Amino acid sequence: MKKWDSDIVTSIILRIGVVLSVAFILTGLGLLLVRNGSDGYTLQQISDFTSNQVTSSSLLPGNIFYGILRLDGLYFISMGLWTLIFTPVTVVFVALFDFVREGNGRYVLMSAIVLTTLLFAIFIL
Amino acid sequence: MLGLIGVLLSFISIVIAGFFAGFIGSVTGLGGGTVLVPLLTLFFGVPIILATGASLISTIATSAGSASAFTKRKIANIKIGIGLEMATTIGAVVGSFTLYFIDKANLLWVIFVLFGTVLLFSLVPTIKRSLVELPKQIPPDRSSEIFQLKGQYYDPRLKRVVDYCGVRWYYGEFVMFFAGFISGLLGIGSGALKVMGMDWAMNLPMKVTTTTSNFMIGITAATGSSIYWKLGYIQPFIASATAIGVVLGSYFGAKLLMRLTNKEIRWLFFTILSFLGWAMIFRGISNSSYISISYILQNLYSVFLSIILISIAYYWLKRSRGAARNEKMG
Repeated sequence: MKKWDSDIVTSIILRIGVVLSVAFILTGLGLLLVRNGSDGYTLQQISDFTSNQVTSSSLLPGNIFYGILRLDGLYFISMGLWTLIFTPVTVVFVALFDFVREGNGRYVLMSAIVLTTLLFAIFIL
Repeated sequence: MLGLIGVLLSFISIVIAGFFAGFIGSVTGLGGGTVLVPLLTLFFGVPIILATGASLISTIATSAGSASAFTKRKIANIKIGIGLEMATTIGAVVGSFTLYFIDKANLLWVIFVLFGTVLLFSLVPTIKRSLVELPKQIPPDRSSEIFQLKGQYYDPRLKRVVDYCGVRWYYGEFVMFFAGFISGLLGIGSGALKVMGMDWAMNLPMKVTTTTSNFMIGITAATGSSIYWKLGYIQPFIASATAIGVVLGSYFGAKLLMRLTNKEIRWLFFTILSFLGWAMIFRGISNSSYISISYILQNLYSVFLSIILISIAYYWLKRSRGAARNEKMG
């Protein structure tokens, strides 16, 4: 079996994360323009950046899946932004896995604490 | 049709602001957010809370983009980075909620002032960085062994493998809590504070410090961003435009950085950063309703103070570099 190099794996994950996210964002923007709005908001409301009419609090992460099936631009953008958020989570997960393989108990514990804080912030807070 | 073009133009204008921010951020090593938040609030009229949201989530993208290169070349120390992330992620949680309470108390002008102050103080280690190559060796302490702070990397400029060993892990972790706190509070990567933690407290070489900090910024920012999301601080239209702009800007900035290191042009960027710092402070004071200063005066004062500040820094650095050279020769 080829030797697993976590530095290289991390590097690849980071790159894929950014590319995927940009792809989702650009698709979302295209959909916003083509369909002249999204999720019941007009394009004018969505693009007004001096007020907070359309913000993340109305875009529940749980709705992203159906939003994407409906080809809803705002949910494509949301998917892109959440891809960004989950990229570092994946990196920490890889590090944890690597420390487990090395049998480095102290760092297994530490990366588990980091991962817990992250997941706690994402899913609970 | 006209509306469509207007929307597209406003999207592109934010992408350009993001590009500019990412470019200066990567050339100076401060990261995109530090420039982006002042640009969006001072010149685009974006409410500061939405500017911090857009900035923080874009920070993940820049961190991922540049960390990808540094982890591959094995300069960033992932192990040390993850260990220190315990404090930064918790700091980011505390910082994000502090921002929420400040927002609810209608005290957002404080964020302007704090932002400007942090920006100005971040300039100190950023400017000083051009002085030092490798830190003086300090004998390993207890924490070096407990937390396995040994490492090595290949330095292409010195043309050799550099071995290093970090010390005082506990101090490092302590500084990192504040780095995370500031990141969550102001929506920036707070790379300058992370660098301070690893450079001053843990005595790691600058190359390792900056690249590891870059790697860590993404994890810290992801923690804060997910909380910002639920608080409604992320406006998808702005955030997507800045994310794209900042990624492009920092990519070109990093390409150019190779040729710009220690060149005088960096002083122009330092001056711009200093201007943004002072301008944020004046805008904050003005928003506080205690003192009112017109926009023109705010900008004039900021230009004036920046020129003085950067001139002093410039001559101070020239002198200390000259002194260091004399010492070497003598």
